[in-house]
Amino acid sequence: MNIENTQAQMRKGVLEYCILSILNNGEAYPSEIIEQLKQGKLIVVEGTLYPLLTRLKNAELLSYRWEESTSGPPRKYYQLTDKGKKFLEELATTWDDLVAAVEITRKPTKK
Amino acid sequence: MNQTLTINISGIVFHIEVDAYEALKVYLSTIKSYFNNSEEREEIMLDIEARVAEIFAEAQNDKNQVIVMADVNKVIAIMGEPEQYLTDEEEEIPTQKTHRKREDKKLFRDPDDRVLGGVASGLGAYIGLDTVWVRLFFVAAFFMGFGILTYIILWIVMPEAKTTAEKLKMRGEPINIKNIGKAFESEAQKVGEKLQNVDTNKFSSKAGTVLENIVMAIASFFTAVFNIFGKVLGIAFLFVGTFMLVVLLALLFGSTAIFSISNDGVYSMASQDFFNLIFINQDQFYLASIAVFLLIGVPVIGLIFLSIRMLFKVRSHYSVGLTFVGLLVVGTILVFMVGTRLAVEMSAEEEFEKTEIISPDFNTYVIKTNITEMPGQGVLEDKFTSISIEGDMMYQRFVELSVERSKNDSMMITTNFSSHGKSPKDALNKAKAINYVHQLNDSILFFPDYLATNKEHKIRGQQVEITVYLPLYQSIYLDKSTKELIYDVDNFTNTYDKKMVGRKWVMLEQGLTCLDCNDIEGITSKELEELKALKMVETVIE
Repeated sequence: MNIENTQAQMRKGVLEYCILSILNNGEAYPSEIIEQLKQGKLIVVEGTLYPLLTRLKNAELLSYRWEESTSGPPRKYYQLTDKGKKFLEELATTWDDLVAAVEITRKPTKK
Repeated sequence: MNQTLTINISGIVFHIEVDAYEALKVYLSTIKSYFNNSEEREEIMLDIEARVAEIFAEAQNDKNQVIVMADVNKVIAIMGEPEQYLTDEEEEIPTQKTHRKREDKKLFRDPDDRVLGGVASGLGAYIGLDTVWVRLFFVAAFFMGFGILTYIILWIVMPEAKTTAEKLKMRGEPINIKNIGKAFESEAQKVGEKLQNVDTNKFSSKAGTVLENIVMAIASFFTAVFNIFGKVLGIAFLFVGTFMLVVLLALLFGSTAIFSISNDGVYSMASQDFFNLIFINQDQFYLASIAVFLLIGVPVIGLIFLSIRMLFKVRSHYSVGLTFVGLLVVGTILVFMVGTRLAVEMSAEEEFEKTEIISPDFNTYVIKTNITEMPGQGVLEDKFTSISIEGDMMYQRFVELSVERSKNDSMMITTNFSSHGKSPKDALNKAKAINYVHQLNDSILFFPDYLATNKEHKIRGQQVEITVYLPLYQSIYLDKSTKELIYDVDNFTNTYDKKMVGRKWVMLEQGLTCLDCNDIEGITSKELEELKALKMVETVIE
């Protein structure tokens, strides 16, 4: 077992949930999303985000619009679709269950 | 001083140093090759490029207007290497270690190892067979007729392996970072070399003078042209060589007639029977066959061999060439042996003559021949000669007819029979054995256009030469059928043989003269009568 691999797998599972959560608070463009994710140490490099966003968009969980930028090329502002919101709700339930399950396993069992 | 290039990322123009550009290019293609889904890939790459442009734009200010290596390194640090991406591609690696390996192989055309479209190498990689065998199969299939179509269909159906991931899939190697890295390194090296060749030629002054670059460009252009030309030539050689080999084998060892192709189209026909009529016995025939096969076949096989070398860049052992030379020497010796034997068979020539005197009962004799086919089965047919056999008899179309002035007042026909043989006696026997008879029916002289001999006598240059001697004022009519029979008939107007037929000719002091010619110089019947009368008067006076 490789500790880094396991950590990466754990982060990866949470990553999609986090992206959807960030966008649930309002639309954002990749750099903003990355900023928030970096704060939570969820991703190390930005390159990770782009394929994920594209896949979530292709799964119709996200949509985007173009906006001109003063400092570079136009930016893609992503937002949740209705389908994405439902998806997020389900993920939230799963997350709560997971947290609860993890908490239970971490507590010493009562005899 | 550093060279800079102008590039456009996501619609924004940047000035970038050459080394930074190369690093960026390699980095972006590494990422690109990491994604398998081509639709997603394009979009992801656009997003990533947009982000790169953003980072570059941030890095620029009044002082720094050029993108340098440090900026690219910064981009790589921010965006990360694809190995660090937590995507599905990476996740798949552990599951495909063994049993999925085979399924994951995909059929691609290999652009790196190709003669035409890379179909054979792609197929070879897919079925795990060396490319050479697949190519040989296609070449064989090409001659069986279905090769071209199969190849074209495969070419259309099989996609080209463009990305590193696709190339790995083509070879069935698991797509993990290590393998991509490995494949990519060689790719990057190639790209690097190309950049050196192309970009530095264009932009750098340190690579050499302009002239040097032009010469190099021309040289590489010609190399490419010669490569293509070599391939085309190779295919042509292969085709011609194989065709010649088939024809040669059929000609030497086949029992049916063989057609050979000349400018006039298919005109000559020969069969094994023909060769049996030339050679003394079967052994000689087979020796000659082997000799011809060696002398013509070996170069033909050499041609095929050469074409395969040109097409597939197969290296040959030096012994191959030696073998070819050795076989040629053997062939030459055999030809010499059989040739000497045949030369001895033909060394002597003898002839004898028969003369027949004809009373000039008719004013004009008609000279005719048969225009029907030769009897029996033809063994050699072409425009000039024809040989056929029927039962034990052999017929040859070696008959010639000429017209000359008689030394006296009588009309004569001499028939000269001649033949070659191993000794004068043998030759004379063969000449005497020639069966040839002409017929006289009233005023019609009929000469067959072929002679007959027994098959046992073989083809030994048997010939019949007929000379018709005409007395003064005797006229003849050369029937149109004698076109091929008459040979070099002397006449006053030097009219060509073929134009003499279908006309009446009279023997005068000056030579054979046309009687009914309008287009060529001759005399009319009226003039002839006058001439005759005059001469008659003269003889009476004397």
